[in-house]
Amino acid sequence: MTGSLLPLLVVVPLLGAALGALVPGAVARALLVLAPVVTTAGGAALLVEHAQTPVLAHNVGGFVPGIAIPLVSDTFTAVMITVTGFTTTACIGFALVTGEARLRFFPTLVMMLSAGVNGALLTGDVFNLFVFIEVMLLPSYALIAMTGTWRRLGIGRLFVVVNLVTSTILLIGVGLVYGVAGSVNMAVLSGVDADDPRFQLAVGVVLLALAVKAGVVPLHGWLPRAYPATSATVMALFSALHTKVAIYAIFRIHQTVLDGATSWMVPLLVVFGVTMLVGAYGSLGERMVRRSLAWQMIAGVGYILIGLGVGTQLGLAAGLFYMVHHILVMGSLLLSSGAIERAYLTHQFLGLSGLMRREPLLAVVVALAMMSLVGFPPSSGFFGKVGIARAAADLEGAWIWLVLGVLVVASIGTLLSMTKLWGDVFWGPPLEESPSRGKGHTDLPPVDAETRMQKRSLAPAGALLLVSLAIFVVPGPLWELCLQAAEGLLDVTAYVEAVTAP
Amino acid sequence: MTVLPITIGVLVAGGVYLLCQPGLVRIVFGITLLSHGANLVLLASGVSAWRGEPLTGVGDPAEAGDPLPMAFVLTAIVITLAVTVFMLALARIGHDDDTRHVPDTGEDHHA
Repeated sequence: MTGSLLPLLVVVPLLGAALGALVPGAVARALLVLAPVVTTAGGAALLVEHAQTPVLAHNVGGFVPGIAIPLVSDTFTAVMITVTGFTTTACIGFALVTGEARLRFFPTLVMMLSAGVNGALLTGDVFNLFVFIEVMLLPSYALIAMTGTWRRLGIGRLFVVVNLVTSTILLIGVGLVYGVAGSVNMAVLSGVDADDPRFQLAVGVVLLALAVKAGVVPLHGWLPRAYPATSATVMALFSALHTKVAIYAIFRIHQTVLDGATSWMVPLLVVFGVTMLVGAYGSLGERMVRRSLAWQMIAGVGYILIGLGVGTQLGLAAGLFYMVHHILVMGSLLLSSGAIERAYLTHQFLGLSGLMRREPLLAVVVALAMMSLVGFPPSSGFFGKVGIARAAADLEGAWIWLVLGVLVVASIGTLLSMTKLWGDVFWGPPLEESPSRGKGHTDLPPVDAETRMQKRSLAPAGALLLVSLAIFVVPGPLWELCLQAAEGLLDVTAYVEAVTAP
Repeated sequence: MTVLPITIGVLVAGGVYLLCQPGLVRIVFGITLLSHGANLVLLASGVSAWRGEPLTGVGDPAEAGDPLPMAFVLTAIVITLAVTVFMLALARIGHDDDTRHVPDTGEDHHA
């Protein structure tokens, strides 16, 4: 496999998006399923390829290196493409079950989103990153406006305004980088003196904008308000793609462009630690399933990025491992919530109760996914947190105890939040006898004793959970990949050579 | 070269002021100003930071203005235009904008 095949990962979903708008619905839905499957297969092929060649690069159009727009893939990119592709497939499976895939232009928009994600993961150019993030966001604005509750239009405004202002800041940052360094090619920027304060400031503006998009505390406020107003399918897609692409870009730029500057370690550790705590305990104030989960997304961002804060090979690898785990488990939980909403028409705690006896299969899936989120075995979350704890043990002096302490306290917060969610939704009297859904004093329709969810609406969540469980049983291969990816992030020589080679 | 920074400053200040106003239409205008500021930052990085004017007969062609930031600006303008249109549509449709009705605070607004 050569680098010249890399653009296909962007071109195939984009072509699918264009075709999907023209052809009849059934064909469009076939394309919709095909596009992420092809992406996942492409990612897996890249993973196999990177066992021999660490970095593949392609200068689009064959222009001179440094001027051309490069698409670059290394192990980190390949892991991300595979995992996001797989999770997108599961989300689309759920959209087919709920019938959202039948909405006009839904297939087109999701494929466009997928193209933007693949492009943002592959690009080796900071300006091009901005473009692909916009390619990713534009269909998202439309997806928010077409699915979800009546709140979505008001929330859509919030989402658009926050993201557009952030993109403008990102653009200003890119302009400053170009002004200081004379290039926006990450491989070229890697050679610029990272100690130049002007350069650090310019890259800092870029990282700040990406931090808003990732939902790092204190720039997280928009996320738990915006995401839950959309449908569960779209929220699961956004959770797997948007924030994770921003985190990917933070990792990439911090390591490649700033050469992993350790002078930022203290503020980074503090900010990411606070993100973990605020996210973990934020759920406690919520009365809706997906709002509660949105806060846990923020906590996850903290866990992933604390690996970057530690900055060693172990730290970076642990962060990546946690990211893979978090994408899978969060997707599983959100799609489970989607299955609940489909059968019982709400995700408010008030309107749900006694689901454990009513839906035993759902209860098993959600319980295991929650344990994964908290970090209990038997799930990928256990090794995710072990990895972070192990990496934190290499820090100096009091930092070990601080990071480990935050890790434990934040995990307890997640445990409390998930226990509350479990108690309100899965325990309690049977739904048809509960005060809110029985004879009914609320706006919610009463539920019959016979109402059950369709088994197939649980399949996508179950599939994601099975992968998480598989990672617990055989963590070795994924951990090896994460270590390999972290090595590529620490020593960028191969990356720079592959991009700048004529 | 003090004109450019002052212009950028005015645009960004105006944009931020409008962003803090209620009502989506004003926010859209704010974002438009802000993105104009960003476009000028991009232009400044290519033209005035270290290059000469891109005019024939003025200076050495090797030192002339850089076309790359201009391409950046073009891309950015297209993206902002698309999102502006979408936001104006959002301002028009959907549920009440928070400026459409005076919130009931118990005060008499006509006093």
